[in-house]
Amino acid sequence: MKELTKDTETITQGFGRLGYVADEELATILFLMLRLGKPLLLEGHPGVGKTEVANVLASYLNTDVIRLQCYEGLDVNSAVYEWNYQKQLLSIKIQESSEKTEAEKEAHIFGEEFLLKRPLLQSITHPERAPVLLIDEIDRADEEFEAFLLELLSAFQISIPEMGTLRATHRPLVILTSNRTRELSDALKRRCLYHWVNFPDEEKEKRIVQKHLPDIEEQLLARVVGMVQAIRQKKLEKTPGIAETLDWARGLQALGYKDLSEEAIARSLGCLLKSAKDIERVKAEGVEGILVD
Amino acid sequence: MSERPHASSYSSLTEAVIGFAHLARKEGWIVGIQETKDALMAASYGTLDEQDTFKYALKAIFCTNREESERFEQLFGGFWGKRKGAIKSKMTYKNQSNIQRKSPGSLVWMGQGENKEEEKKEEGKNVSGANKIERLRQTDFSKIEEMDSALLEELALQLWKQMSLRMKRKLKASANQGRIDLRQTIRASIGYGGDPLDLRRKKRIPRRQRIVILLDVSGSMDKYSFFLLRFIWSLRAHFEQVEAFLFSTNLVRITDYLDSKDLGHTLALLTARAHNWSSGTKIGWCFQQFNEQYAKQVLSGSSTVIVLSDGLDTGEPELLAGELAKVKQRTRRLIWLNPLKGMQGYEPIAKGMSAALPEIDVFNSAHNLNSLLELENYLVLL
Repeated sequence: MKELTKDTETITQGFGRLGYVADEELATILFLMLRLGKPLLLEGHPGVGKTEVANVLASYLNTDVIRLQCYEGLDVNSAVYEWNYQKQLLSIKIQESSEKTEAEKEAHIFGEEFLLKRPLLQSITHPERAPVLLIDEIDRADEEFEAFLLELLSAFQISIPEMGTLRATHRPLVILTSNRTRELSDALKRRCLYHWVNFPDEEKEKRIVQKHLPDIEEQLLARVVGMVQAIRQKKLEKTPGIAETLDWARGLQALGYKDLSEEAIARSLGCLLKSAKDIERVKAEGVEGILVD
Repeated sequence: MSERPHASSYSSLTEAVIGFAHLARKEGWIVGIQETKDALMAASYGTLDEQDTFKYALKAIFCTNREESERFEQLFGGFWGKRKGAIKSKMTYKNQSNIQRKSPGSLVWMGQGENKEEEKKEEGKNVSGANKIERLRQTDFSKIEEMDSALLEELALQLWKQMSLRMKRKLKASANQGRIDLRQTIRASIGYGGDPLDLRRKKRIPRRQRIVILLDVSGSMDKYSFFLLRFIWSLRAHFEQVEAFLFSTNLVRITDYLDSKDLGHTLALLTARAHNWSSGTKIGWCFQQFNEQYAKQVLSGSSTVIVLSDGLDTGEPELLAGELAKVKQRTRRLIWLNPLKGMQGYEPIAKGMSAALPEIDVFNSAHNLNSLLELENYLVLL
């Protein structure tokens, strides 16, 4: 672990080997996150590779990712822990005839074997090493949940009334992502390091595609990325992300194209654009039309 | 303004980092002791070797949103950059709290104390046969006397508070029978030897809806925006999920200003941001801006959009209709409140208004307190 987090250069290279192009800014922030032990908040448009950072970081450090997908109405029970009620009920029935006292019975059915660990509890009770805890799209969760999270992120302990307080065996590496559908509270932000993830520039996007599709034709690569970059400048209903670029490049490869033509675009545009209006508009303007302005 | 601080004027690195934190705080960043400490730690990890690395490190620690990230370059450059090239910050900090300032677009006098004083008084008094409060509730905002406006404001805040309280209660009462809560039921069953005699239920937490408000502050709305802005402020104070925008020839997001607990403070902040208010209206163009910049963020399937505007558009009606249709696609309900609708004999024949009508779910007036309070009925209908 020490070796892996020596400096930013090591991180950039390590991420590169795992197929993720990390620029110096991101590498610096990951370096700090590992050194300061602070959570990292990544914000940015959908499809710029926020979630991927957590996955790559985990494989870089050779540890697990524990993911908590947030949504409206997410409550503590589905994020932290739940009791296995069916098993508890059965156990109560079985014990009916036993000689145990009520207190013993209660202690039994609230034992660890009846506890269903949800992501947050899993992350602090990982037996071997610190996992990467990915809290995805935190902006979708309610403010109450955010407040709860705040508590977890500062103390790294969870209290379960029936069992007592569980302290983190290993402090998880926390990455939060947000699409910014609402502003997060200042208190939460202040706990975290912050990084705004932008769409990659042309050079970087080329490198990303090349990493994932090593055998792509130079000509096709340049044209596809150039086209996507131009399309992003347009005010579309849904701006394509990096995943879409990759899908499109793969699609074009699968169809056997070595260069971008009107026909190739018409056949494969569904990989890139996910709205009928956008597709119509791009088709109408054609390759040249888009690359010109 | 005095000479801006620079790294070279400090004797040690530690002091320079602290000095930089001070500067950042002064410029509006929220930088506490913890941040300064983290910055010093980061410096000690060897991030100093390259200026870029050090910049990125401080950026991650100090910034909390995209806007700050973007402004950070300048702050960093000014402090740590080469002395000669240091650009003086163009930001000026005048005293912005002077809300009595009378400049064009100043909110404080918007729609207040303007001409036609005589005429207003006449009409204001013509409402007869009711006590003062009842009369105020029915008086058109544009015809309120200056004397009464303070009273009306107080009354309004009170009523809006009641309204939001009532709404919360309605939501709670309508969800009385919830799902069975297994956790609590099992706990309770231990006392009966394991038989779940006592069923515990879980109350459904009411789904809070997000309200997005767009207020027209163009010249023609002048007389109303004064009160409507207060209305928005009190909505924000009682509902957690409110997003608010002002528009005339351009769209401005004001949600962050509404957080202040003090209405006067909010108005002062808004006054400072007012540029071309009380000028023409380009509703279509403003909605286009809204769709491009904010719609994807602030609108979800469960949100309600409220437009407060008279619909007197100087732009193309086709643009407005098209953009409204886009808004409509992303929301649950689109409500348009038009103060002119309170006038007798009003027909929505203005080009903009008639273009907008097909997309609107609820079209109502917003000229007096009672009409605003009616909004409650639409917000509760789930």
